[in-house]
Amino acid sequence: MGPTDLARLQFAGTTGIHWLFVILTMGLVPLVAVLHTRAARTRDPARRAVLERATRFWGQLYVINYAVGIVTGLVMEFQFGLSWSGLSAFAGNVFGAPLALETLIAFFAESTFLGMWIFGWGRLRAGVHVTLIWLVALTAYASGYWILVANGFMQHPVGYEVRDGVAHLTDFGAMLTNPSALLALGHVALAALTTGGVLVAGISAFHLARGTRETELYRLSLRLGVVVGTIASFFVIIVGDFQFPLLERTQPAKLDALEDPDAPWHGVLVTAMDGMTLIGNTVSTITLIALPLLWRDWLVRFKPLAYLMTAMIPFPFLASIGGWVFREVGRQPWLIHGELTVDEAVSHVSTGTLAVSCAAFLTVFLALAAVNWTLITRFALRGPDAVQLGTTDPLPDDDADHLRDLEAYDMKVTT
Amino acid sequence: MTLESVWLALLGLLLGGYFVLGGYDYGVQMLALRPGGEKAGHEKAGQRDTVSAMAPFFLGNEVWLVAFVGVLFGAFPHLEGHLLSGLYPVFAALVLGLVLGGAAVQLRGRARGAGAHRVWSALLVLGGALPALCWGLVLGLLTRGVPRRADGSFHIGPDEVLHPYVLACGLAAVLLFAAHGATFLALRGGPELADGARRTARTLLRATLAAAVLPALLTLAGAGAALRHPGTASVLLALLLAALAATRWLLAGRGTPGRAFAVSCCAALLPVPLLGAGQYPYVLAARGGGGITVGEAAADEVTLRTLLAFGVVLVPVILAYQAWNWWVFRGRTGLRHPRYF
Ligand code: HDD
Ligand code: HEM
Ligand code: HEM
Repeated sequence: MGPTDLARLQFAGTTGIHWLFVILTMGLVPLVAVLHTRAARTRDPARRAVLERATRFWGQLYVINYAVGIVTGLVMEFQFGLSWSGLSAFAGNVFGAPLALETLIAFFAESTFLGMWIFGWGRLRAGVHVTLIWLVALTAYASGYWILVANGFMQHPVGYEVRDGVAHLTDFGAMLTNPSALLALGHVALAALTTGGVLVAGISAFHLARGTRETELYRLSLRLGVVVGTIASFFVIIVGDFQFPLLERTQPAKLDALEDPDAPWHGVLVTAMDGMTLIGNTVSTITLIALPLLWRDWLVRFKPLAYLMTAMIPFPFLASIGGWVFREVGRQPWLIHGELTVDEAVSHVSTGTLAVSCAAFLTVFLALAAVNWTLITRFALRGPDAVQLGTTDPLPDDDADHLRDLEAYDMKVTT
Repeated sequence: MTLESVWLALLGLLLGGYFVLGGYDYGVQMLALRPGGEKAGHEKAGQRDTVSAMAPFFLGNEVWLVAFVGVLFGAFPHLEGHLLSGLYPVFAALVLGLVLGGAAVQLRGRARGAGAHRVWSALLVLGGALPALCWGLVLGLLTRGVPRRADGSFHIGPDEVLHPYVLACGLAAVLLFAAHGATFLALRGGPELADGARRTARTLLRATLAAAVLPALLTLAGAGAALRHPGTASVLLALLLAALAATRWLLAGRGTPGRAFAVSCCAALLPVPLLGAGQYPYVLAARGGGGITVGEAAADEVTLRTLLAFGVVLVPVILAYQAWNWWVFRGRTGLRHPRYF
């Protein structure tokens, strides 16, 4: 493998793993926010307690997942400069702007507010606390938007002109409303909600079918998951179909490669596209059947059906990897469609260095992914009893003494 | 001020903010295994207390680096590619350290079993020490000038990294962040933790002072930094040393832990203006003269102006909600604090 292939493998592997975690982040955080809002609004104390437990349970699952999204995202940010310095040399004036704005608009707020949400239990007023998780949700989608503006520019460059071999920004508005970014955002958001809905429904169905003390918690989660999963998986197909006319206009070669057995990457593209559509249609059909069966808990009384919901959990993840492989591999050999090829963009870094870093990063990421999914699975199986989010250490009787100690200590240090 | 210098200042602010905030995180991570810092039998609880002190700020601190890289790409695209790919091995190691450390901070609390705990604890410490070391190496390499090849690309080999001056910078950075982390623990830890941290900080500050003099001596001997403005840089280095000494003095009970921490923040920040002012107008200086200047590194005017329209609104908002975060979680950690990491 040459430097270009290594850089590609490293980039594809890192983005792929980043995406597997980010999609769940984007799929879960709105559901957590809905549960938290309902908990804060409910007056009946018993019901409120259940909703709050549900918030903390799904919230912790979301936060465990978040850890890998964040650390892989950091690497993504560095990788453009590490491996693709030709990209910034040619398109830095244009391509860098959405990435800079993503960090200032979305990531800064998302990270700060998530930290406050995690540690804000019992410290912040309920209204403020709920607002924080909605801000986290909003900024997660904002970051999706900005990254897709950058990616949309690679697929279908708009709003620029090339002078002296370098791209210059001419129409920022056109870049922000690039149809290749907006349609992708719609499709990605719906894919994420499908993933989140199916996961919540699958875990809840599993516990209900197996028998649990937490009937009420899992029942309300099952409803939420199935409703969101049904609606999202229906529309993900609709928006997916809308992408074909755009591709015909902007990247006809990508679609031709699907039909032409001699085209480069033909097999990969067909598998990716077929996998995505097959999964999309299947998930959509199953959730649509499951929806009316929520009535009187028919869905979980008939065990095989309940376990089918659980078995469905991995498939939206696979579909969305397929979608990205189609989008990115189908773009070859261009990095920026019609302007810059991948070969032109790769950094002047030696093959040896790239091989070592590629091996190191992919090993670490695969290990992290495996560990994180183990933690998620174990936590999902143990249920709400295992929640640590929002708990303080048990208070000893001498708590008042402890506080006095603290104050006395501060006095001593001050004087 | 020109547009470019506005963005250079903002870039410096983001990197400086990250050194101050991310810096104490790395220090705290390194100190989570303080030998003898915990009473026998209390190891686990002690370590959790240490991490709890920084926990509510951790995500908000790390993001300063993310923003730094984002703005580097957006406003200085012609620096970004050269800098990161030129110093590839050091930045790759840095990022790997950040990944392991970030995962360890966030997932350690989820582990069950002593074995898993030991592995996460080791990664926690490594994830603090490795980024600190790499930043020191980066500062060393950049102040010395990076070799440039005939095709215009920058490139470092092992002998660049293993140069005594560069290694001395690495060592100084590790000690600086460790001392800064200990000073933070003296401010925010519960009484027992804070007392221990205060003593550790004083020891570490003395070591940092010694280590920070080393690169200066090597430079005087002609085997160190090659700065465009050695005078300015010496003044800033003197300030840095003074800040370290002042922190140590304040921690000896001659001031509040808050004041000691404020001065320690200045010490963690100073390497950024030192590098920036020392090499100006170069943002990436080549060995033996030349390099990339601010003007060459910056994006074109339309892009900078477009970004500025967002920047003037966003930066004050960001500072405001970050300050709100510090305010909400002010005070020493204690029993009533939600724990999670
Ligand atoms: C749950 C995940 C999921 C599901 C069920 C589907 N997709 Fe999809 N698809 C994605 C997740 C996804 C994705 C990962 O989110 C992609 C990658 C880039 C993008 O915009 O969305 C994508 C890309 C993508 C593209 C490529 C766009 C491009 O190259 O610019 C097309 C044409 C479709 N999809 C079409 C469909 C159709 C017709 C589907 C159903 C029958 C479908 N997708 C189901
Ligand atoms: C998260 C979902 C994504 C996945 C799974 C993904 C997948 C891939 C794959 C498989 C490749 C290698 C293509 C090949 O060599 O045949 C690739 C390359 C690349 N992708 Fe993505 N990608 C994703 C999102 C993005 C986004 C959002 C951007 C930009 C903002 C991006 C930028 C790039 C770049 C710069 C390359 C390297 C050049 C190339 O090989 O084309 N990717 N990606
Ligand atoms: C497929 C497209 C992508 C989407 C929808 C997406 C979305 C997100 C989201 C929602 C987060 C929040 C953290 C999490 O969810 O775990 C995140 C984190 C992150 N992503 Fe991506 N991302 C994508 C690809 C990329 C690419 C190509 C980059 C490289 C620039 C990148 C850089 C980052 C960074 C730096 C973080 C960490 C932010 C922080 O510290 O708060 N992402 N991403």
